[in-house]
Amino acid sequence: MLSNSTIMNVFRPAIKGPASVSASSFLLTSVRTKRTTAKSSGTTGVSPQVQRVTTQLSVLSARKKQPKMLKLCPEDLIKHQTIENCWIQYQRDVRNRRSKTLEKQFKSIKTAMNTLQEVNPVLFKLASEATTTATEERRFPLEYRIPTDFPPNKDKVWCHNYTSPTTKNN
Amino acid sequence: MSIPVIRKPAIRAGLILSRTPIIAPELTKLESQYYAYQSELEKRLMWTFPAYYYFKRGSLASHRFIKAQKWPVSKAPGVWYPRGVPDIRHGRERRLKQEVVLPKEKKDVTESTGSTGGSESVTDLTDASRPIVPNSRITEADKLNDLKSLERQLSRTLYLLVQDKSLGKWIFPSFDVVKDTTEEVKPLHEVAEDGLRSLVGPNINTWTVSGTPASVLKQENDVYEFLIKSHILAGNLELTKKGLEQIGEYAWLTRDEIKEHVETSYFENVEFLLAK
Amino acid sequence: MNRFILVPTRNFSRTNCISKSAYSLVEPVHHLVKIDKNRLSPRFPELNYDKRDIRSPSFKPLHVCQDRVQEHYFNSIQPDLLLMNYNHNPEIKKGLKMREWDGSSPYHINRPLRKPKGSEAQYPDIHPIKWDNIPQIESVVLNCYVKEARDNQLLAISAALQIQQITGCKPQVIYSRSDVPTWKIRKGHQMGAKLELKGYPMSQFLTTLSEIVLPRIREYRGISGKSGNRFGGLSFGLNEEDVKFFPEIDANQDLWPKTFGMHININTTAQTNEQARMLVSAFQLPVQKSQKASIEN
Repeated sequence: MLSNSTIMNVFRPAIKGPASVSASSFLLTSVRTKRTTAKSSGTTGVSPQVQRVTTQLSVLSARKKQPKMLKLCPEDLIKHQTIENCWIQYQRDVRNRRSKTLEKQFKSIKTAMNTLQEVNPVLFKLASEATTTATEERRFPLEYRIPTDFPPNKDKVWCHNYTSPTTKNN
Repeated sequence: MSIPVIRKPAIRAGLILSRTPIIAPELTKLESQYYAYQSELEKRLMWTFPAYYYFKRGSLASHRFIKAQKWPVSKAPGVWYPRGVPDIRHGRERRLKQEVVLPKEKKDVTESTGSTGGSESVTDLTDASRPIVPNSRITEADKLNDLKSLERQLSRTLYLLVQDKSLGKWIFPSFDVVKDTTEEVKPLHEVAEDGLRSLVGPNINTWTVSGTPASVLKQENDVYEFLIKSHILAGNLELTKKGLEQIGEYAWLTRDEIKEHVETSYFENVEFLLAK
Repeated sequence: MNRFILVPTRNFSRTNCISKSAYSLVEPVHHLVKIDKNRLSPRFPELNYDKRDIRSPSFKPLHVCQDRVQEHYFNSIQPDLLLMNYNHNPEIKKGLKMREWDGSSPYHINRPLRKPKGSEAQYPDIHPIKWDNIPQIESVVLNCYVKEARDNQLLAISAALQIQQITGCKPQVIYSRSDVPTWKIRKGHQMGAKLELKGYPMSQFLTTLSEIVLPRIREYRGISGKSGNRFGGLSFGLNEEDVKFFPEIDANQDLWPKTFGMHININTTAQTNEQARMLVSAFQLPVQKSQKASIEN
């Protein structure tokens, strides 16, 4: 096998020499070997930036990544539909229960405020002001945390050593 | 001011102090089974993991990753496959879910963690490749059934209940609204918060949900108790002198436990305010 | 055919179907009902199924695990919001509506209604909060518009992948909509990506944001107190440095030499800005106090 460089050496006299070089001699000297130019060796001769984006595009696309479609037999299909119906029914029950509780809560707030208005108009005014005027700046505190799947480490489950700012000042 | 009018009925400000859950609620049997079924379906329908993106070709990490995978049986001509003809793309059997195996850490690392015993010993927190071990959802307070601890029943909402010494019953803490001499009247939620601090010490961080009462309880001899909602965010309860005099005990209870502790009529009046 | 029989035109009072003038003002039904003709083909019957049906090719299971954010919302936040938003004896606040003409001119007959006072569009009424209309987060929309993509379209692809990596859902490509010569923008160029999150991916994104990303941003002051589109939407932004704090980007830093900032819109069912801000602050997202309140304080 000839290396690429040897081909070049063979060619050079042929190009520089007289025009009478025959086609057959040309064919004899040209042997295809492994490419060493930029176009070869795995990458397709593009800049690394373009190569990166090509990879990114292939991550985004579904090509060659999709699994086979599910083909359920009628029995499995009925099983699946039963499960789904059960879940929908369960969700509906939960939702109804929740909305009933909220309705009760709302009505209880309303009766409480009505009673307060009858019993003590001054306190009623304060209680209703607390909501109406302050609504614009009401925020949940950041310590009002979303529960996690598992508890934090032992010493961080609850913040025990809290000191109120008023006692600190005193 | 209409002070003479308000003389007659006495008003008390009650406080429903709650600790919101710290961990997600327990799943019911139906939920856990349904989620298991759905997640299996999702895994089956998931696209193939593009390992070539995360592991650079020819790198050491890539070799380790490839070595760790369980590759599926490939298709060869003239072979009978009892479990169906394999259909492989990008090293994934398309008819099944793909199981991506993460390469294990170096042997010496696993040995060292194994020898120290795991559970109680403190693993090196700087070691990024340490195995992730979730903490137990059941705390020590649960095991001891310590009703005074805020670390019990992490998945449930807890409510503060006190045992009134004069009545001898378990109730939500409630306080008299003082309405004499001073022309300045304190709103209900401030009365409740200040009253709480006079009983259990000032070192608690609470957040009052609203000045509006969530409910009213009408008691005998014309006493109205307005319930204010609040959440405890940090701090511990330490009974003060006044607290020791007025209340014998306090406890953090879930909804179900409250039902056992308080009177039935009282529970029915507040039931809908308590979270599951 | 009967239709083409000539009828004597002497009966002026009758408006027979046949004697009507050229065309009817009511459009025929097939113009109103959109018909997807692909669905009529018998070739791929599974394409006609609903997306939620397991026989459909685009079936994707929705409830794959417990949604702790949603659980927390129903367990704690919703009752609190009900109490916080309570107003005694509330009234429905009328939004701006189209006005009638006064009829002073005969040309007012059949004229389209007048625009609302001081506004181009009508506004919805604001109903008091009751147990059935407590504000709730509906969806989160991520919008990543890359300005530099006008010179280098490859950046838009990277932006799309960034969104996919952060959320685990497939984004949609956005194209420039018009030619703007001063900004060197051509119509139809790929300029970035957007994604609407709902359900579990939305909760997942919100918790990642509140628990991992926002606490790591230096001197983060919270979502602006002025944010809000007055119909329950809140929006804020993350710049390219902040995006690097997402764990998916953070773990593969060498893959992300360039990151892209994005806009995050939180759509809620709240009816006013105040309600929306209050709701969003319950999800551990810091929201600044509104300007009005700070002046009062």
